[in-house]
Amino acid sequence: MKLTDFSQQEPATPEGAFQKAAAQVEAGEDPLSVSDFLNSFNKAFKRFPFTILGEVSEVNAKPGYRAVYFTLKDASASLSCLMWNERYQRIGIPLAVGMLVEVKGRVSVYASKGRMNFDVESYSLAGEGNLRLQVDQLARKLQADGLMAPEKKRPLPTYPSTIGVVTSPRGAAVHDVLRTLRRRFPLAKVLVAGVPVEGPQAPEWLVYGLQMAAYNSAEVIIFGRGGGSFEDLMPFNDERVARAVATCPVPVVTGIGHEPDTTISDMVADLRASTPTAAAEAVAPSKEALGLNLSALGNRMTAAMERSLALHRTKLQRFALMPLFQEPGRLFDNEALTLDNLSDRLARALPAALGRDRQATEALQDRLVRCAALFSAPQKATLERTRVQLAALGTNLTRRFKAEAALNAARLEDLSPLSVLARGFSVARTQEGAVVSSVTQVSSGQALSILVTDGTIESTVAAIRPKTSAQEGAVK
Amino acid sequence: MTEQKPMEELSFREAMTQLEGIVSLLESNTLELEDSLKNYERGVALLASLQKRLTAADQQVQVLVGELSSLGSDAEQDTTLS
Repeated sequence: MKLTDFSQQEPATPEGAFQKAAAQVEAGEDPLSVSDFLNSFNKAFKRFPFTILGEVSEVNAKPGYRAVYFTLKDASASLSCLMWNERYQRIGIPLAVGMLVEVKGRVSVYASKGRMNFDVESYSLAGEGNLRLQVDQLARKLQADGLMAPEKKRPLPTYPSTIGVVTSPRGAAVHDVLRTLRRRFPLAKVLVAGVPVEGPQAPEWLVYGLQMAAYNSAEVIIFGRGGGSFEDLMPFNDERVARAVATCPVPVVTGIGHEPDTTISDMVADLRASTPTAAAEAVAPSKEALGLNLSALGNRMTAAMERSLALHRTKLQRFALMPLFQEPGRLFDNEALTLDNLSDRLARALPAALGRDRQATEALQDRLVRCAALFSAPQKATLERTRVQLAALGTNLTRRFKAEAALNAARLEDLSPLSVLARGFSVARTQEGAVVSSVTQVSSGQALSILVTDGTIESTVAAIRPKTSAQEGAVK
Repeated sequence: MTEQKPMEELSFREAMTQLEGIVSLLESNTLELEDSLKNYERGVALLASLQKRLTAADQQVQVLVGELSSLGSDAEQDTTLS
């Protein structure tokens, strides 16, 4: 038995391989075992990729299976297909009955059942379904990237001073937008980036238009076009455009096509309006509404001012009516009361205190008197006793002195010159009064007074005879 | 009052913001009477300026990219559309 290995023969086409296999069978060589045949078959046909277009008719994608099994059919034929799970998941578009798909893969036979399967490596959707699905896929991708997150949506500037418009320079849309802006908010400057919105170059132009508008300091950008077919709107579904919208430094408002049309640019925009005109209306505040708004602000301001004035006036009046300003004297009411009260208390306190003091003094006086009497009685007695004693003693004292005095008087009597004179003696005195007791005191002719008991004899010294020692004595 | 930029230099939005600020300030009734009056005066001037700008404005259109097809007047446009 000769085993033919087709894989080593490098046939150019599947047709060639079939022919070779057929030729081998016809040549009547040794038959192959079933296993050998199928192995050879699989080896051979693994080399030839096919692309098949068909409608999905049955899908069997149970969890736990390692592959998804489905059937592809057309009007008169059907083909069993399988797709390994990891490949299926990589595609990201779940297969559904009725889908028109293009599958790429190779033929293989499941040897144990002898059943032919088309081993699908990849598939894509065919026709417009394909286009819409691509859009859906991109939408999902961008959503996963967070480009559509609600928190990413920026608020529009209330009163934009510069508005960018990125749309086709031809057609009604741009004029609708410009007219709306002029009517509603002529204050804003409008920057128009007129770019092609259809055709293969459109996405690049749209991105450029957005960049230009943002670069020229538009504060908000109107981005859109008039109505068209799904294919016409495709540039707004372009990933580059969608990312340019999402990353635009200023808010973007889309108005693409008509109401039901929704593109990816709409989804990632900060605000989606149904038409270009609606986008312009969303961006520009209306002049009339603004005018009303301003009037309302003016009214509120005036009302607030009037309220404030009225309030101040009332406050002032209230102050003016305060008793303080009406009767300034009231200011000291409290003090006056206190003063009155104190003076009253003082008036009552003073006499009372005086009375009390007087009583006390009187009481003290009484007590003093009583005390004095008490003290003087024994002293008086002592005094009296002492006086009597003293009187008695006094008498005794003089008695002794009296006796002595009498004695002395008698002796004095005895010693008196008068008594001597009485006994016959005399005293001679000079004119000067000096007692002459010696002859030397006198001279002859000198006058002398001689005192005798019953008078004086005026005499003159006749002679002087000093006495001899034996006869010393008086002059007579 | 925080800013005292000359009124002509204020953008519409700035002037509007200032006016709204003044109105709320006055409505809050927290100001001295003198300041109230000063603010009121400024508010009235802002209001007049804004109203004047709104009525007198003539939209300025600048074409950055491409060429606009001829513009009819608003009336013309409106008749062609309707």
